[in-house]
Amino acid sequence: MAELQLQHLDKIYDNNVQAVYDFNLDVKDGELIVLVGPSGCGKSTTLRMVAGLEDISNGNLLLDGRDITQAPAKDRDMAMVFQNYALYGHMTIYENMAFSLTLRKENPNVIHKKVLAAAEILDLTAQLNKKPSQLSGGQRQRVAMGRAIVRNPKVFLFDEPLSNLDAKLRSSTRREILLLHKRLNATILYVTHDQTEALTLANRIVCMSMGHVQQIGTPLELYDSPNNTFVATFIGLPPMNMLKVRFEDRKAKGAGFEVPLSEEECALLAPWARKEVILGVRPEYIAEGGDLLLRVSTNENLGMNTLVHGKLGDDTRLTAKFRSWANYKNGDIVPVHFTRKLFFDPETTQAIRKEGK
Amino acid sequence: MSEDRVTELDRMRYTKNTTSSRLALLAIVFDVLFFISLYKSDVGTYYYTILIGASIIYNLVFLLATFLCSEGVKNYQTSYSWAMIALGIGQIIRIFIIPLSAHQATYNNAPVMGDAQFIRMVIYLVASAACLFAGAVINVNKSRALSAHLASLQG
Repeated sequence: MAELQLQHLDKIYDNNVQAVYDFNLDVKDGELIVLVGPSGCGKSTTLRMVAGLEDISNGNLLLDGRDITQAPAKDRDMAMVFQNYALYGHMTIYENMAFSLTLRKENPNVIHKKVLAAAEILDLTAQLNKKPSQLSGGQRQRVAMGRAIVRNPKVFLFDEPLSNLDAKLRSSTRREILLLHKRLNATILYVTHDQTEALTLANRIVCMSMGHVQQIGTPLELYDSPNNTFVATFIGLPPMNMLKVRFEDRKAKGAGFEVPLSEEECALLAPWARKEVILGVRPEYIAEGGDLLLRVSTNENLGMNTLVHGKLGDDTRLTAKFRSWANYKNGDIVPVHFTRKLFFDPETTQAIRKEGK
Repeated sequence: MSEDRVTELDRMRYTKNTTSSRLALLAIVFDVLFFISLYKSDVGTYYYTILIGASIIYNLVFLLATFLCSEGVKNYQTSYSWAMIALGIGQIIRIFIIPLSAHQATYNNAPVMGDAQFIRMVIYLVASAACLFAGAVINVNKSRALSAHLASLQG
């Protein structure tokens, strides 16, 4: 059992720069939480506070109900996996994996069994006598994970572990982390700036910006019902189209285009009558055929899909993702319609949705 | 064979034979102590100058060879054990060359090497040889056990 509670955590550096504001999160046993956000949003700082590598300025950190806010890193029963692996180059893989247990003066036979078990899980048995320099980046990252596994910690902390890997290796290592999580049923706090990693790995995602938590929810919740324009544009690739429109005559009227709205949407936008709102449309919510005319500027074929970039109306940029192979040319006019629409308040940037949703 | 013993043997697949290696390094330490003590008996006669010169050369060879052995036995290589035994025998033989002959010789009616220095030097050489023999025996035992374990894994 390992439940982690982060209560009102703040991080204020000595020069009065605040990196994290009022961070609250309850991590359930066996949950994989991904902290995601752009560089400098405070996600790594939060992780380092949890690990005990940074002091917590305000707030409390509880592990299984025990307050560990002031506990030193070594007493927190957490293992951290770093982006740069942090392996000892002069030691073999076996020695690297056994190192933390050797320092704790555990029985060598027990250490041996733990290292072999971890190596088996991570498919590293054949590499145990090699030095880190003889392994690929993905294998080195697996060794770093193995070093964490042998400690059998209550919580695993991953700080952008895949950032140093190339795209192919990242994908396979991501899959391994997912399998590892299922196999160990471990509580994991995982930091990344890559939303693909966040969406594929997480049980829940914490989306952060400028030190503030923007939204906490399942990957689908963040994708389908973002709280604000930041989450809407950060989650999803390509990002959501944000169109400035005015709600009038049961339509969302933009510069040179009009989007008809349903009864339900009109009811939702009633308080914004004759006011500006932001219409959010994911590229995958745009389909071919309809009354809106998209003037194509570029066409990117991705195999299964085609990304079409262009302009709507006078000068509103729009990216559409069609589920087919298309070969539109610059200047082509493509009729499109929106299959789903989200609305945001332009002043608060918060989502406009039905109460209770 | 008990489970612990099997684990111990299996562990040798991934760990080095540091015991034998460290014993070889300890043999070097005793040899250095022997050599430092030796200069006290340099009385300037032709005979001892020749002997000490030869001893310096042998010592350089000994240091290099023992260090190589300490690295070799780390990886459970049996051939280095035999080299260590040969070097150990060499250390025993050395007792009868410099310390003993110097102890028995006189210069201006005084012994070239006094009793205390002689005993100390013999102790250093015997200790050095003992370390080499022990390291070699441990390595032979360990490497045989490891080979048997590897064979059982394959079979």
